[in-house]
This record gives sequence, structure tokens and C-alpha cells, in this order.
Amino acid sequence: MTRGRAERVADVRRLLTAAGVVYADRARLSPDIVRATGLSPEGVELGFASWERDAPSQDLEALVAAAGDARHVHVVLSANVFVAPLRALAIGRAAADAVTVRPSPRDPVLARALVEAAADPAVVLVEDRDIARSTADEIHVYGRTEAVEAVRARAAPGAKVRGHASGMGVAWITAAADLDETAERLCRDVVAFDQRGCLSPRVALVEGGEDRAVWFARALADGLTRWANPVPRGRLHDDEVAEATRWRETMAFAGRVYEGNENVVASTSGPRLAVPPSGRHVLVVAAPTRADAAARLGSLGHVVVTVGSDDPRTVASLAPPHARVSLLGRMQLPPLDGPVDRRG
Amino acid sequence: MSARTESDALHARVRRMMRAFPEGRPPESFDALAADLARFQAAHVAGYGRLCAARGVVPSRIARAADAPAVPTDAFKASHVFAFEESGASAAFRTSGTTLGARGVHFFRDLGTYDLGSVTFARGLLLPSARAPTPVLVLGPSPADARDSSLAHMCGLFAVAFGGGETGAGAFFVGQGALDTSGFRARVQHLDAAVPALVLATSFALVHLLDALGGASVPLPAGSRVMQTGGYKGKSREVAPDTLSHDVARAFAIDPRDIVGEYGMTELSSQFWQREAGPGEGRRRVYVEPPWARVVPVSPQTLEPVPEGEAGVARIEDLANVDSAFAVVAQDMVRRVASGFELLGRAPGAAPRGCSIALDEMLSAGAPRPFEGA
Repeated sequence: MTRGRAERVADVRRLLTAAGVVYADRARLSPDIVRATGLSPEGVELGFASWERDAPSQDLEALVAAAGDARHVHVVLSANVFVAPLRALAIGRAAADAVTVRPSPRDPVLARALVEAAADPAVVLVEDRDIARSTADEIHVYGRTEAVEAVRARAAPGAKVRGHASGMGVAWITAAADLDETAERLCRDVVAFDQRGCLSPRVALVEGGEDRAVWFARALADGLTRWANPVPRGRLHDDEVAEATRWRETMAFAGRVYEGNENVVASTSGPRLAVPPSGRHVLVVAAPTRADAAARLGSLGHVVVTVGSDDPRTVASLAPPHARVSLLGRMQLPPLDGPVDRRG
Repeated sequence: MSARTESDALHARVRRMMRAFPEGRPPESFDALAADLARFQAAHVAGYGRLCAARGVVPSRIARAADAPAVPTDAFKASHVFAFEESGASAAFRTSGTTLGARGVHFFRDLGTYDLGSVTFARGLLLPSARAPTPVLVLGPSPADARDSSLAHMCGLFAVAFGGGETGAGAFFVGQGALDTSGFRARVQHLDAAVPALVLATSFALVHLLDALGGASVPLPAGSRVMQTGGYKGKSREVAPDTLSHDVARAFAIDPRDIVGEYGMTELSSQFWQREAGPGEGRRRVYVEPPWARVVPVSPQTLEPVPEGEAGVARIEDLANVDSAFAVVAQDMVRRVASGFELLGRAPGAAPRGCSIALDEMLSAGAPRPFEGA
């Protein structure tokens, strides 16, 4: 590889500059993003607000260090977290002198705009969906677990496939938390991207007894209902509605359900978790002790990408080591220091 | 009245309905019994009481089955769907799926109702002839080897009820997770050619048998029947239905119409059998219900019944589910046709979008050995 670390950081910075250009042009792009993602216009604006368009040098150096070395990286993007292409391109560009990008056919808007604004000859859009024809020595694929496996199976021999597959976020509410205030902060993490991203919290563990979990569940449902006014939920696909119905009825049987405007929050103290679907659905679970919380998180460990908390210092002993940790309200804003998903 | 006394009375009413099946004159209406079951379950199955409350349904006002909310099959994984403590169960059947390691459980206080209904309905729709006994060969484990499998229980029941009490090595050809192909072939060779036999198998067991036979055949006596049930669940290669039907008919030297599909699930007590129905050229193979069960296609989004002839997810009202949930919502798509229903496959779960995770991905964790948890 010919570039040193500083050149790689500079190349990534140019992508950040391009992101600034795209951000400034968001009013023009927004209708297409609304059509592609199903988010409401206000949801798209909130998504743009969650976009990391700047980063301190130490974060970018960490990103470059995490990116590794490759001759040619081919990036296969997924849909729905429409701002995700920036980080994916940044990692690819940090790693290689040549980057090809295949946008999601369902949601190509931001990736195209970003590549166009960057005008970096090393970053080229491609539409060919047959991964077997890629000559890249490294393929970065973002998407559901099955998609990652399909790319792995189809990639040319010798090509290294780095997959970033299905995952979700978990919130940890400590005994010291003010429940109403904490619920309000969690709302922002849930509402962003209508909960379709792997940073989106689906489960909230509340330290204490069931009464506390029920209080938090009610506060969260009320908060999400308030959020539906400034940021309405977008369009859900029929299969998403079907899954939401199935989960809601299951939780009405297995626990308590609080149905708000465009959201459903359920609480349970039962031993088993039924993880909710995306679209503003949250399962609140009482964790009488931190050991209980650790056990719950342990059972979810393989899918947990991030843990948000009112007190992130308390997370270390609970969360799986790969998980990102953040304050509630900032779960969708991880530093630009490497892949969002650090499960490897 | 205690829950146990009330349950006993309901079991007795359901059994009267089952015993009346051959005469075709049910002793009471489906809806009357369903309404009483719904009230009993709302009072004694805590989750069902909560579900009724969440849907604004007052149990005392339920007048017909359709008034009662249905329990999603996921509830059997996430909760206790039983009117009694676990210690009051005489049997527990478990699903093969998992919720982060958990399997669904269907508890039974009294299996007598399950057994009576299963044998009564299968006698009319599955048995090759009224002549008894019928040799029964099961390409699956014995109930003793798979105590938590409802399918193994049903097959064991049929082996005893139809096969003249033959059980053990003579009837079951899966042991320690492996198919005993040579034992099965030897058993078939010793069948009386004048007596039709009954082979009970899952789809994936049939595929494993066909693969093991490698194109050879094991002709069954004329008039024999094969029961085929279930999907593949990743336990064998998948074969298109018509191809499997053709290959099984060839291997056993039977008419493809003598392969009878069964639709059942751990969360139910009743089974549905395939038969030809409809007039003239419109005749087709459909699944039919016993008088004590109904399958209603409902919208997966609203759970309301879909218009006649349209596909929906299966809401199954099974009066034999006395102590658990008489109405369940499965995850299979069905369509009503010609006095029965067609099975259209698994309801599509929400396709996971982006890097988002889907519930079903968690439910399908783990890879059981091919013949376990069947």
C-alpha cells in the first residue's frame, strides 16, 4: 500500500467534507429518501441530524487503524439507515486505494450523492449485483445475516469478506435513573430511523422490581406518543405490520402492553424474551439485580451491537465486550472510529 | 366450581362431540362450547385473561368462537399457556424452534381428549381400510425415545390404535437420531401382501429414505397409504412437493393419491387431513377439519377474517385444547376452498431490513439433529 496513515485520514476527511455538501443539499434529496426508506420527512430530517459529518482526528486515526489494508475494497450497502454509507465508504477508503460501491437498490440516494460530492477518482459506484464478478481483494458487506452469508458463499476465492450483519441495541436503566427523564432520552434512540438500524434499542432492562419497569414502560409509551407529533412514524411494510401485530398479541398474553400513538411498549418479568420488531416497539424487562441484567444481556449477547445507559460506567460489567456503550439519547451517534458493529 | 372440575366437564363435552363424529350429529354447537372454553381459559390461564382485557373483550359476553381473541403460537414460547401449575401436567410437548434457547411448551392435564380426537378423525380419513389391524410403520422415533414430541405421541397412538398394539422395533424406524433403512426394508418385505399398511413420516424423513434407497423401491401392499407431514426445517435437502409425491409413490409402488398430507402442530390437540374435495373437474386436495376444530384465514395485519377465497394467516379454533388455548394464530398461510383449506406455506415474517434484526432469526437459533424434536 502506498499511502501512509496521514494520507488515509486526509482521504477520509474529504468524504466528511462531501457529507457536509450533501447535508447542505438535503432539502433536494429528502423526497427521494422518503420514498426509498418509508420514513416520514421529519424522520429523514432526524436521520440527517444523527449523521456524523465531522470527527476529531483521534477518531479518524482509530478508524484508519481498524480499517486494515487492502488493494481494492468492494462495499455492498444495505438499506434503511440511510446515512450509513458515509461510515462504510470511510472504512473502505481508509483501507484501500480503490473502492467500488454497490448502493442498496432500495435505498441508493445518499450513497450516490456522497460519491458524486466526493469526486474522488478512487471511489466508484457500480451497479453489478453479482459479487462473483468483483475483482476486489476485500468485500465489506452490510445487511442481514443471510445476505452476508450469501456474499461470503458467492465471493471469488481469495477475497476476504468482512460482514456487518443483523444486530440491535439494548438500554440499561440503573436504579439511580430518573425514570421519566430517562424514558424521554431513550425515545430519541428509538424514533431515529424508525428503529430499523442495528443501533436501535429494542429491549430496555430496568434495574429494580416490576413496579419500576412498569413505570418506565408507561413513561416510554407516553414519550413515544409525544414524539409521534414532531416526528411521525413513516410507512411500515405489510410484513412489518404483521410482525408487529404478532408481537403485540404475544406480549399482551405474556406481559403488559402499552399502546400509544404509533408505538407499542410491553413489559414483562417472565424468564423469556420475545424481541420486538422494528417500527417503534420496545420490550421493557425488570432486572432485580445487576446479575439478572448481566444474564439477560448474556442471553442476547450475540446480537447486541450497542448498549445505552443513563450511567455508561455501569455497563462494563454487564455488556458483551464487543458492544459499543453510550449515553441514552446518543445511541445513534457513535464516534466515527471504526465500524458501528464491532462483533468482528 | 374448581378449575379442575370445570376442566373435567369441558373435556367431557368435547369428548361427546368426538364420539358423535361417526354419526355426524354433534351433541351441541361449536360456538356454545367455544364460548364456555373461552370463559374458562380467561379465568384460569392468566395470559389469556390479559389478552382479553387488552382487546377489550369481556369473557362473559363471548357468544361465539369468533368473539374470542386468538393466542399467537409465539406465546407458547414466551409464556405459560396452561390453566394449571406445571406440576398438574400429565404431558408436555415441546416445539422444535427456540426463542434465544427457549422452546415452546404445550402442557396437557389430560391427554385422553387429544387421543380420542386424533384416533377418531384419523380412522375416517387416514386409514387405508376399515379392516383391522393395519400394520403401521413409523419413519420417526418412538414416543419413549421422544417424550416431548407431539408427533411421536400421535404416531405411537396410531401404532397402538390401528396396528393392533404393535409398538417398539416393529413399528418405529428412527433410533438415536438415525433412520434404520435396512430395518424398514426388512419390515416391509415381511408385510402380508393382502393387508394394506400405513406408513407415517415427516417430509424430511421421506427424503432421507429416498436418498438411502438410491432409486430402489420398497413396494407396499396394494392399497397402502403414506402419511406425510411437516416441512423440512433444514433437516434434509428440500424437494418440490410434486417431485416428492412422485418419488414416494414410485418408491412404495402406490398411487400418489394414497399419500395423505397431515397438518398439525405442537400447540394444537387436533390434526387436519388431506382429501379430495369439490365437484367434478374442480376436485382438488384440501385439508379438512374435524367438527371440533375450525381453520379461519385472517389478515396477518389486523387478525380479522379475510374475504372468502382470499389467503390469510391461520386462526385455528381447536376445542380439544381445553386447558391451554382453544384459539391460536399460527404462522402458516391458508385459503378456504371446497369445504376445506389449502396450506400455502409459512407466513412471511418481516423481512429483516438493513442490519436490523428480525424476531424469527432469534426464534430459529440452533440446529437440532435431523430426527430430534420432530
